Amino acid sequence: MKIIRIVLILMLSASAFAQTQITTTIGANQAVNVTRVAIPFPDLAAGIDAQQMNQAFFGPLARDVAASGVFAIAPLPPNVPVTNDLLKRINALAAVRLTIRQEGQDFIVTARMTDTADTELYGRQYRGPVTALTKTAHLIADAMVRAINGKPGVFLSQIAFASSRDGVWEIYLMDWDGGNQRRITYHNALSILPSWSPDNERMVYTSFARGTSDMYIINRRGGGRIRIHTALALNTSATFSPVGNDIAFVGSTNGNPDIYLIKDDGSNLRRLTTSTSIESTPEWSPNGRQISFTSGRSGSPQIYIMDAEGTNVRRLSFEGEWNDDATWSPDGEQIAFTSRVNGRFQIRVANSGTGDSRILAGEGSNEQPSWSPDGHWIAFQSNRSGRWEIYRMRADGTDLQQLTFDGENKEPDWSKKLE
Amino acid sequence: MSKKWKVFFSGLAVIALVLIPACTHKKTQVNDHPPVAVDTTPTVPVVVTTAPTPVETNKDFVKTDTEAAVTEAPLPTNLEDLNRVAQERGFIRDAFFGYDESALSADAQSALSASAKWLSGDGRAYNLLVEGHCDERGTEQYNLALGDKRANIVKEYLQTLGVDASRIRTVSYGEERPFDPGHDESAWAKNRRGHLVIVGK
Repeated sequence: MKIIRIVLILMLSASAFAQTQITTTIGANQAVNVTRVAIPFPDLAAGIDAQQMNQAFFGPLARDVAASGVFAIAPLPPNVPVTNDLLKRINALAAVRLTIRQEGQDFIVTARMTDTADTELYGRQYRGPVTALTKTAHLIADAMVRAINGKPGVFLSQIAFASSRDGVWEIYLMDWDGGNQRRITYHNALSILPSWSPDNERMVYTSFARGTSDMYIINRRGGGRIRIHTALALNTSATFSPVGNDIAFVGSTNGNPDIYLIKDDGSNLRRLTTSTSIESTPEWSPNGRQISFTSGRSGSPQIYIMDAEGTNVRRLSFEGEWNDDATWSPDGEQIAFTSRVNGRFQIRVANSGTGDSRILAGEGSNEQPSWSPDGHWIAFQSNRSGRWEIYRMRADGTDLQQLTFDGENKEPDWSKKLE
Repeated sequence: MSKKWKVFFSGLAVIALVLIPACTHKKTQVNDHPPVAVDTTPTVPVVVTTAPTPVETNKDFVKTDTEAAVTEAPLPTNLEDLNRVAQERGFIRDAFFGYDESALSADAQSALSASAKWLSGDGRAYNLLVEGHCDERGTEQYNLALGDKRANIVKEYLQTLGVDASRIRTVSYGEERPFDPGHDESAWAKNRRGHLVIVGK
């Protein structure tokens, strides 16, 4: 956090210059196998406000690149032309040159990444209104990562969450870095536990709009809302299958919560668990063949895994007196969950095969982990500040950053598909 | 003490002598419910034969004894006031649970017995919502399920005590709506409950 703040101050104070010195937030453990890249401050056409460009465009881009795990930003000396000789002297393998000009209401941003032999690694032009500048920054960072390792970055991903900032808990979205926070639902009733569809187009969540808890599906822009009727109680913890059109959720008859499946059109209800104990919190493995869930059958809430047909149940968690919120890493090899250790909830990451686990310790209570679609980050909620807010950290627990500050915020769910 | 005062006090005493039995008599009336008590009074023997209507007796009583008048007042029709009054007077009482428990303690059972008695008597016209609540020490998703189990245990017990199942709905709020926002055992104890809410007739 401290480093990031210093970087910001440096960028702001230097933004009047054509070139900006920035330092990197990449820690020592991420410094291996990264490409050192120089990103001079954009060339601005006359009349364009450097401060505004820094805030809306260059700042987000530099932060994305610094957090990419693919690049390290090579600091540039001020007021010196960025020549290939200079790049070699500062051990940079590439440079990204940016220009911004205006046509009417639109900004035209060009980005060109070259190596020290002037070979173009990536080049593109973007056009959009002032409100699209930050998205352009995320697009460029994404393309830079793609140019180096062939896979898109995480910078266009979205985090769904519940917030009480407008009085009642409703569903909101934000960019991966906490920017662009916006409200999606308007039930004016307790609405919680959003979960993305595998194509990032829809979310399923629970709302008490009718006085009882129901399952709803809404598209990412807030339209097309439908209620999935089940004739069961609860209808909570709903989650889309990564394959096909099933939704797993917790339903209950006569006070016996179990894991159920239903099609996303409300047909074909199936019950997967039949224990008389509490079952909750289903989550699909990335290939859709297994479902993790929480059960109180042993006497305390613990994590179990079953086949998607409800068979072959095995217990995953044996440590911690209360475990819940299991969620699979995109490669299926790890399961993050909420685990109470010495009276406080912590994020625990376990090997999905062996169950061997480690704690990613933090202050306060830390719950509801969600993996980024590239598997490098985990978003979660913590009450360390005295109220619930959403944070992001690398999957190894480093580079912690608070993403929400307005009201109370919880239940982050990171979009599923890299785009 | 002056003569004047002596006269005044003896006057008071006379009034008191007359009033005290009258008051006692009226209280008896209320407790036993009229009109039988009227017949036994020796001070108004004539009334016995003319048999005054009980309505008149009640009117007279309401003027002089406000405490009794309140208990005779009808329940509020506004649901919010109705629930407050019904909880205050113990007509319906919430069931409290132990940590991560959904079994009914002896206290919870006696609270629900009192509630079932009212719901089968004066409150027999009303329908009920049972809200399951949990304390913050658990996790949100599991607690929603736990709250459902708690609400249904309460419903089931009220059923065995004679309240028709069709009159009882349940909902779980898990730890989403704590009664006490505190972070200690006294707050948590208040937040683990099956909360009874009258939802109309």
